Amino acid sequence: MDPAKAEAYFKYRTTMIVIYLTIGFFASYLVVFFAKGLSSITVMGIPFHYYMGAQGAVVIFIILLFVNAVISDKIDKKFGFDPKFVDSTNQTVD
Amino acid sequence: MDGQFTVSLILIVATFSLYIGIAIFNRARATSDFYVAGRGVPPVFNGMAIGADWMSAASFIGMAGTVMALGYDGLAYIMGWTGGYLLLTFLLAPQLRKYGRYTVPEFIGDRYRSNTARLIAAIATIIISFTYSVGQLSGSGVVIGRLLEVNTATGTMIGVVLIAFYSAMGGMKGITWTQVAQYLVLIVAYLIPVIFMSLQLTQNPAPWLSYGQIIQELQVLDQQLGITEYVVPFTEATKWQFLALMFTLMAGTAGLPHVIVRFYTVATMKAARWSGAWALLFIGLLYLSAPAYAAFSRFILMTEVAGSSLTSLPAWTQAWIDTGELSLADSNGDGILQWTEIMISNDIVVMATPEIANLGVFIIGLMAAGAMAAALSTAGGLMIAISAALSHDIYFRSINPNASEKKRLAVGRWSIVLATVFAGLIALNPPGAITQIVAWAFALASGSFFPALFLGVWWKRANGPGVIAGMIVGLTVTLSYIFAAKYGGFTILGIIDTGAGVFGATAAILTNIIVSLSTAPPTQEAQDEVTDLRYPEQVQYKNGEVWLKEEQK
Repeated sequence: MDPAKAEAYFKYRTTMIVIYLTIGFFASYLVVFFAKGLSSITVMGIPFHYYMGAQGAVVIFIILLFVNAVISDKIDKKFGFDPKFVDSTNQTVD
Repeated sequence: MDGQFTVSLILIVATFSLYIGIAIFNRARATSDFYVAGRGVPPVFNGMAIGADWMSAASFIGMAGTVMALGYDGLAYIMGWTGGYLLLTFLLAPQLRKYGRYTVPEFIGDRYRSNTARLIAAIATIIISFTYSVGQLSGSGVVIGRLLEVNTATGTMIGVVLIAFYSAMGGMKGITWTQVAQYLVLIVAYLIPVIFMSLQLTQNPAPWLSYGQIIQELQVLDQQLGITEYVVPFTEATKWQFLALMFTLMAGTAGLPHVIVRFYTVATMKAARWSGAWALLFIGLLYLSAPAYAAFSRFILMTEVAGSSLTSLPAWTQAWIDTGELSLADSNGDGILQWTEIMISNDIVVMATPEIANLGVFIIGLMAAGAMAAALSTAGGLMIAISAALSHDIYFRSINPNASEKKRLAVGRWSIVLATVFAGLIALNPPGAITQIVAWAFALASGSFFPALFLGVWWKRANGPGVIAGMIVGLTVTLSYIFAAKYGGFTILGIIDTGAGVFGATAAILTNIIVSLSTAPPTQEAQDEVTDLRYPEQVQYKNGEVWLKEEQK
């Protein structure tokens, strides 16, 4: 396999992970850090910092994980790591 | 002995029979069945099993109560425990799956080419899982004791027998399907009361959308009473403690051996990614509901219980007062119960609220069955981790490498039985509050496993001496900080014992890097193995080149 292609695959995946983690960091640590300043904004009648802690951050985390799963599958396919191969091993293992 | 008792007992017996039936049906027949369920678990079901494994008595029984008691500051638990899945799924799980071992200590030993590192990791696994399971067993003791109207010690022993039986019987394969059933029981048990309370209080069946209204009313009530406001941040601890606790719970989640091993039960890296996503979705159902649960409970207590006459208290109060977890003292002697006169333990809020809200015997019984499912499933997963560390990492890999499969299975089963009984004995008289013990387990995991796994997967230069020094320093710093903060009153930036993981993890990462760089690099073969983890299963990295494997068969 072409080493440049392999390198590109790894870079692509790593970049995506850095993006996801940065979003996760903003949704949790940064909101907590600025909690007092953000409390004047309200979402569904709840102060923003409280809403993020109780629901917003968790929902964002879940979305990030599903986006990662879908996009990773697409990247795998694009680079020719055929998912059918994976499924066939799946059955022999069981 | 009344209708409530009968209904609860029937529900608990029915769910237990289901778990045991599943365990018998899926008996382990080979070593790989026992440790990693034959590696054939589909991601959605694995997600449910991770959810049940993960959501312990602390999540089910304790979390809503903690949020209710601490207000905003309690949300560190919600964000920390869910955010850990980002670290786990993005940074560790797929790579660990590709490396393909049975246990976490085995990965550390083989990746770092060090038997000493494997032994330290096995011992750390035992310490962390054992600490954690003491909390679970004492939690199950409280629930069984309350329902069967026996004392907590007897309840704990009943829990011990059940856990020892089905973990030893089924191994990982039995536990996986048992945990799927347990997830379904616990989530239904958690959602039904919160949906009914939402209907009662707001006429809206979706608590996640309706509780904003209750939060607003709580803010008004707080101001009328002149007490600490529920939504105001950092009233119970400093901002740094909040951030440190959140980090400790996240890194600890990513390093908990019994959770990581669940990612070994799927077939591929792809399946590991999907497992992580499904797991957090299933966990999110409970975690998103917990703040609503907390707000509803507080609202009901403030408006319906507070203000009533002490002589006309409902029947549910007496049973909980008897357990010592609730006290209603009329300190100003006016015959009326004020909000400030209600002292309710965090750990009974979830169990008691359905009774307080008058939801009926069936729902209260279901709640008890759900709490038991949460405690038993986590304890079961922890026992497998302890058993694997003892029978696989220590016995098979260090003491008797020629042991037959049968012998190893036997050692695995006996270590589960012994570990459960031993943990049960300690749980008869637990050394601290359940949530506190659980937080320590997370701090220890974030100080030992998280740095070792993170650097092991992402930095090929990390070597054996580095990881040994890192784990020892990380554990030492974490333990010292817990003791210094808890007993010595020593704190940095107001960070107390539950946030100790932030110091442990930092110290361990720095130590690992410094020691690795000042000693010889790992062999080329070991470094190539780490590079290989960048790619899916079909791709292999060998001698500086990347190969696409031929399809077999």
